[in-house]
Amino acid sequence: MKSLNIIAVCGFGLGSSMVLKMKVEEVLREENIEGKVSTADVGSAAATACDVIFTSYELGEKLESSVTVPVVMIQNFVNKAEIREKGLPVLQRLMAE
Amino acid sequence: MKSSWIDKENIQLQVEVQSWEEAIQVAGQILERNHSSDAQYTHAMIQAVHELGPYIVLVPHVALAHARPSQAVKKDDISLITLKDPISFGHQQNDPVHLVFAFCATGDQQHLEKLTLLASVLENESLIKQIAHTTSKDEVIKLLSE
Repeated sequence: MKSLNIIAVCGFGLGSSMVLKMKVEEVLREENIEGKVSTADVGSAAATACDVIFTSYELGEKLESSVTVPVVMIQNFVNKAEIREKGLPVLQRLMAE
Repeated sequence: MKSSWIDKENIQLQVEVQSWEEAIQVAGQILERNHSSDAQYTHAMIQAVHELGPYIVLVPHVALAHARPSQAVKKDDISLITLKDPISFGHQQNDPVHLVFAFCATGDQQHLEKLTLLASVLENESLIKQIAHTTSKDEVIKLLSE
């Protein structure tokens, strides 16, 4: 089965992104999507190979122009409904590729 | 009484501030007082918002201020202040901010346990509301330990 390489991004790759990573992992588990979530800071995210990036709006807008993978932007980092709503279509599309 | 992840001494309630910078300053000074970090780290937390935007307002009404692990950080620590009058950080959706957590970490992994517990607090909107309005630190510790 295909496994997705996901990164959660914040300013330093250890605070906010860690919280987001936990929530994305929960959504993956609940949806039976195979994937590994790691964290990165906004500076190194563009240079990190991955299938999809999860981050905030502020950082996502900065990142979008420098990456070729989809960027999913989340307002509330612990809101799984929002992560699911915005992230699932992207994740499912990637799984189908 | 002590919860597993935040000390009562690291909490200040109903603080009056004029700006989000001042709010991070006050939360950072608690870490400085504990010799967990220094003024340079507090400055870095404020600088991060100037440079990267107010994304640290992770959920409605709660900011998680932090900066990169560095020489300035002596040990992992976390503080919490609640604001008497909520303040705007300039976030599209999650303003105004009532609670400001500040944390410092020496490395990338050790602080994970605290963050996991913090994440479960962030999910609980009614808990956040109760913490924002109480004037009792014991009450906060109790709420955070639930």
